[in-house]
Amino acid sequence: MPYKNSLKIISRMVLAACVGTSMPVLSDKFSQEDLDRWQQEFQSVVERGENLFHGGLQSRNTVSCDQCHPNGANTHPETYPKFQQQLGRVAALRDMINWCIQNPLESDPLGLDDPDMIALEAYITQERRGVELTPGRH
Amino acid sequence: MSNYNRRRFLKAGGALLAAGTLPISLVELAFGKDRKQNFTFAYVSDSHITHVRGKQFVRNWDRGLIRAVAETNLLDPKPDFIFYGGDIAQLGKPEEIDHGLEILSGLHGDVHYVMGEHDYYLDLGEHWRKRLGPDHYSFNHKGVHFVVLNSILTFDDWMYDKWSSGEERMGQMARLDNPQGSPFMVGEQQRAWLKKDLDAVSKDTPVVVFSHSPLQKIYQGWNFWTDDAEQVQALLKPFDKVTVLYGHVHQIQYNQIDNISFHAAMATAWPWPYPSSYRQQAAHVPKLTVDMNRADPFFERDATGWQFINLDTGNVDVSYVLPDNSNRVVAWSDAAGHPVDTRYQAEADRIPPQTHY
Amino acid sequence: MIRKLSLVCVLAGFTTGAIAAPLGLPPVPIPADNPQSAEKISLGDRLFNDTRFSADGKVSCATCHDPDKAFTDNLQVSKGFRGQTGTRNAPTVINSAYMKTTFWDGREPDLEGQSKQPPINPVEGGLPDHAPILAVIRKDPGYVQSFQAVFSVPASGITMDHVAKAIASFERTIVAGDSPFDRYYYGGDTTALSEAELRGLQVFVGQGRCVSCHRIEQTQALFTDNRFHNIGVGFGKIRGKEQETAAQFLQSKREGANVDIAVLTRENVSELGRFAVTDNVTEVGAFKTPTLRNIDKTAPYMHDGSLGTLEDVVDFYNNGGRVKDSDPVSGFLSGGIRPLDLTAEQKSDLVAFMQALTSPGLDQLARTGESNHE
Repeated sequence: MPYKNSLKIISRMVLAACVGTSMPVLSDKFSQEDLDRWQQEFQSVVERGENLFHGGLQSRNTVSCDQCHPNGANTHPETYPKFQQQLGRVAALRDMINWCIQNPLESDPLGLDDPDMIALEAYITQERRGVELTPGRH
Repeated sequence: MSNYNRRRFLKAGGALLAAGTLPISLVELAFGKDRKQNFTFAYVSDSHITHVRGKQFVRNWDRGLIRAVAETNLLDPKPDFIFYGGDIAQLGKPEEIDHGLEILSGLHGDVHYVMGEHDYYLDLGEHWRKRLGPDHYSFNHKGVHFVVLNSILTFDDWMYDKWSSGEERMGQMARLDNPQGSPFMVGEQQRAWLKKDLDAVSKDTPVVVFSHSPLQKIYQGWNFWTDDAEQVQALLKPFDKVTVLYGHVHQIQYNQIDNISFHAAMATAWPWPYPSSYRQQAAHVPKLTVDMNRADPFFERDATGWQFINLDTGNVDVSYVLPDNSNRVVAWSDAAGHPVDTRYQAEADRIPPQTHY
Repeated sequence: MIRKLSLVCVLAGFTTGAIAAPLGLPPVPIPADNPQSAEKISLGDRLFNDTRFSADGKVSCATCHDPDKAFTDNLQVSKGFRGQTGTRNAPTVINSAYMKTTFWDGREPDLEGQSKQPPINPVEGGLPDHAPILAVIRKDPGYVQSFQAVFSVPASGITMDHVAKAIASFERTIVAGDSPFDRYYYGGDTTALSEAELRGLQVFVGQGRCVSCHRIEQTQALFTDNRFHNIGVGFGKIRGKEQETAAQFLQSKREGANVDIAVLTRENVSELGRFAVTDNVTEVGAFKTPTLRNIDKTAPYMHDGSLGTLEDVVDFYNNGGRVKDSDPVSGFLSGGIRPLDLTAEQKSDLVAFMQALTSPGLDQLARTGESNHE
């Protein structure tokens, strides 16, 4: 038992040393540098989404998302999931993104896990940051 | 002369609108004893005809203009003329302008045209002017002075030096929320022309000015904006009754700044959100405005439309013709001293679809 | 069995503002000023089937809304007294209880208003006014007794409003849900729809864009939006004549013309659709979205009965509101209508899905009221 206890103590000391010298660390600890980098990672996807939103997305009739939604306005990501009569059911934001791709853009829908879909969601949501969640709202 | 008649019109119009109808059969009631001096005109705007490839154009925008033409032709009594508020084309291509004009040729009546930025920035308006003539002009009709301005010019360095081609310049200007964009302006040359033009007009003559962009500052981020708006307003200041009618914003807007009433046109193509619904920037949507209804995108004409206008009082009464929605009338009110929606102006009378957020 | 259960529900709910309904449908809305009762429903049933309320004594409500034909007549346009024809296809009474307006152009707001019109239309019942109807009723001891019991009025006090209320009450019992689609979508029966019907459902809510007007929701499906749309039907009849037709109609309306008569006797005017009711230029050629429930049993289709089969209907929509894809497109076409690019399989799947909207026991529903309401 004393042996085991001392092992525990040693391992705690090692961990403490790791944190103190900013070597690779426990998963629940991260630095400002991490936060900044992750924000940049997110921002890169937002930018990809912004590009897709403004004509970058393949569109059979050349229509693009921003033609009706400058700065992603009037997309209301904070209101999803909500009932959409165009689909006859409660739908997620990405279902409506696909609806717009298929109808005004007359193009083929994206896979729901397509990186382009994530990017479009990232841009739309980023342009709506700070707005209170109101699921179901019309 | 026609206050009595105007009130009758508003009353009749209001009652009919309550039943969801357009008072086209009652427009006649608006005309006073002096029928010769009373008239209506129709106002269609922002079709954004888009060439896809070969002979293919975006069907949705085509249908919007086709429908506006079909409906305008049913006006009874007939309007004296039709104004087209700009942006026939999406990317200024000759085939887009030509295709749009072919559809517009179905209108029964003379059409006066306003230049929009989508008609301009590919070839600096060359094809448009070849088809339609000068981009600023004035004329008198039944005692009203009409002025058309090209309000979508911008700074010379942006226009001439910044881009490698007309296509690139057009593509940049076509993006509404473009951080690389540049503000619209009427410019010194046209303002000098306007001053001279207005000097010859007596100050009690009703004046109606057409521009594509609003001659007031609403939101620069989307170019709902004209940089020299105040200077143009100053030139209009001496007149008793002035109205500015503009396109570009694809939504119902109305405002009163001193002696000038402002009204925007709906697009025939698609609606735009109100700038106030973009939460990351402040905008100045006129407080007076009761917003258009939010759209269900399945019904491609929802939140699009066209208008007809009567100038019975020398001030402008705008009747909005709105597929899939109840039509609306925004009319001059002597009591309020500004335009009011004849049905929805009071807070308590507004309906849920008018809430934009 | 299921049908019987739903009927029990209908009867049990008589005293409330709305009555319970079969699977897939919401409770039937009952107007506050016309509550249901078994006697009133029975009276309405008799009135509905009474041929004496017409100029030749041969036309009743049931002539065009035949219980044996899913409450339609299966004719292109209905036949009135002495075989006269109008301009419109008879819509089914089934589930009309849910309609927000009646007639194809919505010219009457409710069932009570609707039933008063056909008897006095010159190509339907052919009566000059309602007096002959009231005369027949006041002389019929059975009717007099029933009106006394239901409305507490003596023979002399019976009005057309009473007649219309009784007929509307009867019509509000003609509800039918519980189709294979309902059992699949709302009843959790995963075997209720075939593979083709399931694929058809996907077309219906997806590429076919049907659901935007023929609504399906999370807990119910009326298969209508109760709105008016110009989908291109009948356009060929007034193409190039829209202006003169509209102007002439407005002129005759200003001079006092009756809309009900004008739309059923003048083919051009009929094609003006909702415009004839509202004078609104945005509603030229717009007609009400019909429900698709039991659609397989209510051929032919559209306001003018111009499409004979569901296959024809699907082709019409697939061509963007045209019989042939070379036909001209109406300038007034609703913004929701455009070519759909459906494959032959998608089209046949869509038809299969619509055929899965038929309620069981329609022939039972068709039996006269007395036996149903005992």
